[in-house]
Amino acid sequence: MLRRAACGFGMLGLSSLLAEPNDPLAARAPHFPAKAKRVIFLFMHGGPSHMDTFDPKPRLIRDHGKPLPFKRPLTFAENNVGGLLKSPWEFKRHGQSGLEISELFPNVARHADELCLIRSMVGDSVAHGGATLQLHTGSNTFTRPSMGSWVVYGLGTENRNLPAYITLKPGLSHGGAKKWSSGFLPAAYQGTAVGLGGMAIEKINEPIEHLKNYGLTPEQQRYELDMIQKINAASAARRRQDPELEARIQSFELAFRMQTEAPEAFDVSKESAATRKLYGIDEPETADFGWQCLMARRLAERNVRFIQINHEYGPGNEVGWDAHSELVRLHTRTALAVDRPIAGLLTDLKTRGLLEETLVVWGGEFGRTPIAEAGDGRDHNPYGYTIWMAGAGVKKGFVYGATDEFGYYAVEDRMHINDMHATMLHLLGLQHDRLTFMYGGRPFRLTDVAGKVATKLLA
Amino acid sequence: MRLPLGCFLLAVGAWAQPANELFESSVRPLLAARCQSCHNAKTAMAGLDLTSAAGFAKKPIAARLLEVIGYEGRTKMPPTGKLSESEIALLTNWVRDGAVWPGNAVVKGTQAHWAFQPLRPSAGKTIDDFLEARRAERGLRAAGPADRLTLLRRAAFDLTGLPPTEEETRLFMEDRSAGAFAALVDRLLASPRYGEKWGRHWLDVARYADSTGADEDYRYPYAWKYRDWVIDAFNRDMPFPEFVRAQIAGDLLPPPPGQELNASGIIATGFLALGPKLVAEQDKVKMFYDAVDEQIDVMGKAFLGLTISCARCHDHKFDPVTTKDYYSLASIFASTRQFEQIEGTVSKLFYAPLAGKAELAPWTAYQKRLADKQKEIDSVTAKEARRWRDHLAPQIARYMTAAKRVIAGGAADTDLDAGVLARWVTYLKPAKERRVHLEDWYKQGDAAAYQANYLAEVALRDKAQADFKAGLLKEAPKFPAGANRFFTEVNAAKGPLGLPEKDSAAVAALKAELAAIKAAAPPEPPFACGVAEDKAVEQHVFLRGNPDAKGELAPKRFPVVLAGDRLPEIKSVSGRLELANWLAEPSNVLPLRVIVNRIWQGHFGQGLVRTPNNFGVAGELPTHPELLDWLAAEFVKRGSSFKAMHRLLMLSEAYQMSGDTNEPAKTKDADNRLLTRFPMRRKTVEEIRDSLLALDGSLDLTIGGALATGTGTDNEFSDGRKSMHPDDSKRRTVYLQLRRSNLATLLTLFDFGDATTSTEIREQTNVAPQALYMMNSKFVAERARTLAGKLVEEERVDQARARRAWQTVLGRQATPDEVAATLRYVAGFPNGDGQLLAWSSFCRALIASNDFIYVP
Repeated sequence: MLRRAACGFGMLGLSSLLAEPNDPLAARAPHFPAKAKRVIFLFMHGGPSHMDTFDPKPRLIRDHGKPLPFKRPLTFAENNVGGLLKSPWEFKRHGQSGLEISELFPNVARHADELCLIRSMVGDSVAHGGATLQLHTGSNTFTRPSMGSWVVYGLGTENRNLPAYITLKPGLSHGGAKKWSSGFLPAAYQGTAVGLGGMAIEKINEPIEHLKNYGLTPEQQRYELDMIQKINAASAARRRQDPELEARIQSFELAFRMQTEAPEAFDVSKESAATRKLYGIDEPETADFGWQCLMARRLAERNVRFIQINHEYGPGNEVGWDAHSELVRLHTRTALAVDRPIAGLLTDLKTRGLLEETLVVWGGEFGRTPIAEAGDGRDHNPYGYTIWMAGAGVKKGFVYGATDEFGYYAVEDRMHINDMHATMLHLLGLQHDRLTFMYGGRPFRLTDVAGKVATKLLA
Repeated sequence: MRLPLGCFLLAVGAWAQPANELFESSVRPLLAARCQSCHNAKTAMAGLDLTSAAGFAKKPIAARLLEVIGYEGRTKMPPTGKLSESEIALLTNWVRDGAVWPGNAVVKGTQAHWAFQPLRPSAGKTIDDFLEARRAERGLRAAGPADRLTLLRRAAFDLTGLPPTEEETRLFMEDRSAGAFAALVDRLLASPRYGEKWGRHWLDVARYADSTGADEDYRYPYAWKYRDWVIDAFNRDMPFPEFVRAQIAGDLLPPPPGQELNASGIIATGFLALGPKLVAEQDKVKMFYDAVDEQIDVMGKAFLGLTISCARCHDHKFDPVTTKDYYSLASIFASTRQFEQIEGTVSKLFYAPLAGKAELAPWTAYQKRLADKQKEIDSVTAKEARRWRDHLAPQIARYMTAAKRVIAGGAADTDLDAGVLARWVTYLKPAKERRVHLEDWYKQGDAAAYQANYLAEVALRDKAQADFKAGLLKEAPKFPAGANRFFTEVNAAKGPLGLPEKDSAAVAALKAELAAIKAAAPPEPPFACGVAEDKAVEQHVFLRGNPDAKGELAPKRFPVVLAGDRLPEIKSVSGRLELANWLAEPSNVLPLRVIVNRIWQGHFGQGLVRTPNNFGVAGELPTHPELLDWLAAEFVKRGSSFKAMHRLLMLSEAYQMSGDTNEPAKTKDADNRLLTRFPMRRKTVEEIRDSLLALDGSLDLTIGGALATGTGTDNEFSDGRKSMHPDDSKRRTVYLQLRRSNLATLLTLFDFGDATTSTEIREQTNVAPQALYMMNSKFVAERARTLAGKLVEEERVDQARARRAWQTVLGRQATPDEVAATLRYVAGFPNGDGQLLAWSSFCRALIASNDFIYVP
């Protein structure tokens, strides 16, 4: 099936390759046993402010309005910055673990004992484009495959009737399709985008392109497919069973199954009223993200390997988390849109026993500055910010790492984006420095030449 | 499915492959990846050099090697993590087989690497002699000749990317002379379709696209001119040295007689200019050197087959390219202009004018007139806005109170300006969202306080401005929007204190003047996305790639291993002209080997070197080194003409072989390295789409030009960022716009590559979504329906319809069995509501069949 790109399989280990050498998507055993079978990545485009959500900074209350007492690093909006800005939101301790979470996330806070807060994230870009690319591909400089592609390359898929890697309503800005592209990995590992950021859900009438036939009944289509296969069988016989031709014949059967089974996965109409309520699907503020979260659960149930949900800029969302000004208004509305759906997803995954085998990751491309921008906003901050993980393999109700007392720099257990990727791969049973692919004369990996697994947070 | 042999061996153990090949394809890359960073000639930790035969010979520690990789003793290697089981098995087998380090490739370190040696062409041979010799060594024979129809289709797709036309088919099939195939090749080479096909091969290598990709995906509005230049260069059979020189330094080549500048040359430098760029990167030094690096990378891969940019941070791990070599090249590209302006949130791209000074002057003057007039409008508007605000400010409390009444359902005050009041009502209407600055108003309703706040802010700002003017403040005062959100919002253009929508007479008059200026615009002079000379940069080595850690000075020069350590004489500002000339010198054999390998790959699916962008030590060895050298020498002899090489290759017996394999070859030459048969290939995405359009006669064969216009990027929220949908055009696929951040799904579906880094070869995957495209896409359905419509309308008899369907879609006559099967299909079509549907469905079945999508 793959003519030449398969070299990397050599690095993946023996057993899997022998099983089905022709199939780039065949399920493969991980490098070592692991709890996480899949990932749900909740991407918060724009950069949520950590000081206002998951990383309380009392010092900012004390020093509100005062100048930052050290030299400010490179920022995005160099010319519009002011003094320290305290969080307008109150933090409270939640759950047995007593994790401090702000009032922006009242529903997620109820799952405090499931969360593993990583308060020491570090990236290399102060602009959205580079930061977003690095978050998704490990590099802010070169074009590399996205993390979902690496995961599917490493593990294959257990459900051939759905794409192995799906991103729901991704945005086309800041890296565009590079965020779910397979880069130099074979195209089979490419993410499938369902809808686009800013697109109304009702308008996503074809979640996967070319899944529906317009013009033939299923019976007629089966009749046509039988003819295709007859013609193909005849030409394969002339070519003495060239395996490539055989593989193409198989791909049509698979496609036929996919088009009958995949639409069901995207059909939420049979979900109960209670479930709809859990995800906030019937409220205008949470309907969009609620649908995405519910879809994520449905896809997780169906063993999709990497599922990404995106809170994007766009109609109805304004600039999302990117509150250069009007922090209060923008973060309030954005948190409102995602809080209940995310909490619903965690509840639902837990109830169905899926959380034990699913790694949920929440985060943006960076955090925000402790100093004000434009008087009432915050600028980009890749030097220290928070993401959280929950589910398979991570400690529960746990805080990993810390920023300084202002929230500007990660100072304890710094976790670079490359380290985050190494850790995610580890949780999936993949050793990040062994998951390599030969390209341009050398083996490449998601973590490039860096990456350290954050062992402290492993359950 | 053909796995590369190396992988196959990793998986199932080492047999049936010469030690040499096994070593090069598997052992050496493994040593390179996991051992050589410490065990090389320089560092030689534990006295061990694992980079060359000579190094290894100094301390042949094969048995010890197995101990340490076993990870059981005290020393565990590699220290970064145990090798995988298959890797350990590979090294174990290699040691057991005597740890043979093939000496012919690497004699004394990597400088002796085969690709850097002078050509050693053998005289008096043909392509088939070389191939036959290798086959004979293994006791294998070549497949027989292909039938004429196969040959016709193969040649047509390989040279034009399209199926043979009816006329071409007739000409060739009727010509029974010995020179018939040569004549066919000549006719195909003369067709402008040839440049569209072979230009695309080069555009892959040149990572051509119409936008910057990366973060903001800014459009390269004139990129298409470079694409057209490439297509035209192939059609005109531009000699290779000229082709190389133009793309590196076309702007510096002498203009044609009577011209002020070399427009075509400037366009050709799009090769350098059109790379991906992170234009919104705020670390501008990094952004700049990333762009430089990208140029070194594409230049190195495209012309030298070397991954030079590995040496940005450290000496190359496999190849004899040092960081100093790298920064010597960086010095050349850092002295080359590719940005109009680097400073600013988003750096501006440089557009090279293609017009002389005389033509450019009126345009520049016009731009200035526009800007001046706009400035005047802005200034008058600002003054009016201030007057209007000052007029309304003392009435803020009244308006707010009145608006509150209206919102509560009361009547509007008649003595207030209705338009202004309406704006206040809109502004003050309670929203679900939190508006901190209005919370007091909703709670206490103290309008006077809001008016006082506004007036105080005005006074504060006026005073600060006055102080600044009087020199009491060092810096101009800044007033962040959020410092007083109420003030900002009510003053906004559409806010309650914003100017009424209707322009004042003064502004309207000015806008009319602006319109008049625009109406009298001079013609826009042509531009290109190319490069130009900039200031000469004194480039230092950046230690570990870090611009803040400056090492020694790196003077402009070319990689020492290739060009020797004599410093070239640099007369151009950047040194690009000298670099271009050096690359194009016939004595520089690496570019010649690299390009003839690409031509070979374009005909035989795989190059003689199967890593066409990597002729370095970590690349693959040539399957037929003597043939490669012979071809390079022939290329020069034949005037460095691409077309001459096509003739040479296509008239060989090898090209005219059938694709049928014979039994010993099928096992002994599983991946066809010895060319025991002609490799069938899947059509490229361009060939798929173009031949679909050709099926029903709707293909538009217009040559060149832009299919989409516009500059800059799109609104962050818009769908406009998408590339043009391929279904919206009937032009050949090579002409579709390529937005890096969102390539059309059709392209990615069929392995187009990513247009961001140099693509050395198209992947050939076989996945279900491709089948879905054939079965369900509207595009395929439309082609099938149009074709079926023609069949039903123009042929009266079903037999004739069947025959024509096969002929049109697959380019061959149907057998009687196939005709019969076709008729049964149409007759038995379930619940058919007419012949058209059944025939459409049958046509689609043919289109979806393997014979349509593979080139035999």
